Amino acid sequence: MSPARRATIEFLLDNLVWLMLIVVLAVFSATIPNYFQFGIFANIFEQSTFVGVMAIGLAIVIIAGNLDLSVESTAALSAMVTGMLFASSGVGMGISFSPAWLMPVVSLLIALAVGGIIGFLNGFFVIRVGMSAFIVTLASFIWVRGLVVAISGGRSAQNLAPSIRIIGMEDILGVPLLAWISVLCFAIFAFVMAKTTFGRYITLVGGNKDATFRAGINSDRILWSSFIVAGVLAGLAGWLLAIRTSGATANLGVGMLFNAFAAVVIGGVSLKGGIGKLPGVYAGVLLLYSIHTAINLMGLPAHFTQMILGGLVLAAVLLDTFKLRLREKLL
Amino acid sequence: MTDGEPLLKLERIKKHFGAIEALRGVDMTVSRGEVVALLGDNGAGKSTLVKIIAGTYPPSSGRLMFEGEERYFASPKEAKAAGIETVYQDLSLCTNADVVANFFMGREITKRYLGIPVLQEREMEKVVAEAMRNAGTKIPSLRVNVENLSGGQRQAIELNRFVHWGGKLVVLDEPFAALGVEQTRRGLEMIRRVAAGGIGVIVITHIMEQAFQVADRLVVIRQGAVAGDLKREETTPEKVIDLITGGTLSDAGTDGDGGNSDPAYQREKTRL
Repeated sequence: MSPARRATIEFLLDNLVWLMLIVVLAVFSATIPNYFQFGIFANIFEQSTFVGVMAIGLAIVIIAGNLDLSVESTAALSAMVTGMLFASSGVGMGISFSPAWLMPVVSLLIALAVGGIIGFLNGFFVIRVGMSAFIVTLASFIWVRGLVVAISGGRSAQNLAPSIRIIGMEDILGVPLLAWISVLCFAIFAFVMAKTTFGRYITLVGGNKDATFRAGINSDRILWSSFIVAGVLAGLAGWLLAIRTSGATANLGVGMLFNAFAAVVIGGVSLKGGIGKLPGVYAGVLLLYSIHTAINLMGLPAHFTQMILGGLVLAAVLLDTFKLRLREKLL
Repeated sequence: MTDGEPLLKLERIKKHFGAIEALRGVDMTVSRGEVVALLGDNGAGKSTLVKIIAGTYPPSSGRLMFEGEERYFASPKEAKAAGIETVYQDLSLCTNADVVANFFMGREITKRYLGIPVLQEREMEKVVAEAMRNAGTKIPSLRVNVENLSGGQRQAIELNRFVHWGGKLVVLDEPFAALGVEQTRRGLEMIRRVAAGGIGVIVITHIMEQAFQVADRLVVIRQGAVAGDLKREETTPEKVIDLITGGTLSDAGTDGDGGNSDPAYQREKTRL
């Protein structure tokens, strides 16, 4: 086989999820009435924001060879803290101060800090105490959600301060600002993962932790940072969610973890660690919400979404195995 | 610094894991430009000793002198910074990354933009290509992931890595386990070349023939202690095998540490 042809096949295999996205969008556009219009696509973009931002952090932790099940609850906690501080009805305390532009900044910093703290704790138990990431983050998934219910008393916060909510109402080129924020996050973290030493070390640690330790890389610090990054990004997702829903409910974001996981796996991140690229994850999120939207438009009951998503995850994992085999044959 | 002072000097190094005593007081030296073969049966404590020198874990007691100073390495990073390079038996490569990433692991060439260290891939690839060319290693593409390379190619990457980065002391833990005849010959040559440059080398091997080909001195570890420390010219493979297995076919001395009556060993012992 000629090197050029092999390179082409490699390229296609690496970017398979984008190919799938294009095919799926084309098929839906051709077969589902009203699918092919700008508003629908803009909507897919916007819907992808929350799970998308969350999936970046999750992908980074998985590439580093661990697992973070807590991202959904972390996002909910950040959203609830934002809501309780800056929303005026329900359990909201309606804090406000001037200048008004400072409010989104302060609320964002608080939300990121909340996420960062949860990530730090996860990292502490996994790296310092040496517990399994699955158990630690499963525990966080449960207790952080419990904390959300506890601090809100199960009630909700409504009417987020307008100076913060404005972020959810603006759009650029007809696409909501929220969607651009997630695109920006993907761009930044795709760069970090591909071009900086931190990203390189995440990948190397995910591949062979002992080797990186022997090479003088502080692998524990890299792993711990990956949990903190995942927490901070979940915090950002929660802040965006609070803006989108103008507050927070105690069960906000339930089910997002599964979507984020599906997107990460469909996007080509291997659960073994060390393998995966963030642009692929973004394509995975978009693919997921393209399908969600199609199901909504067709008026199918929501239960079908879950079945289709489950099938997709299975297909993605199968595809991963198939790709590995094909690659072995090629080289 | 005097000429006679060894590069590395281990004094009564002990290591125990819980109740198990892996090393029971090892004394050993390596000089600049000297190749020392470390021999011993499986479980004799060779790998434990290597890991203590490499900074993977600290000794339970004893002193490690490097360049005449007492040192304590809390991590491989510190040992590396002091100039100790280690090539491990189970390869230290990340198979999910390409050749360049592995070659530069932990030492990436970066350029800072706004304080962010950005990897300089092209520069790194050039360096690796040259290192591979110099060593006569052929690898289809430096951008291919290591998982797609053969065992021999992987080991070659690792050997080239230590030759390239140099240092003052190199520790090789069974470096030729996966290599073919020709590659092994080249590897042994490489060790002599590295040593000729004034670098101290410790080679762990199971193969007597290799030890005698490459080493200036042979140190035999048995049950966590030095059972013999012999100059190559003054010993024979048979004698060394006796020391490894604890047999007393060629020598009437008693078994184990201290009871060895080999003259070379006695001389080494008094010098220490």
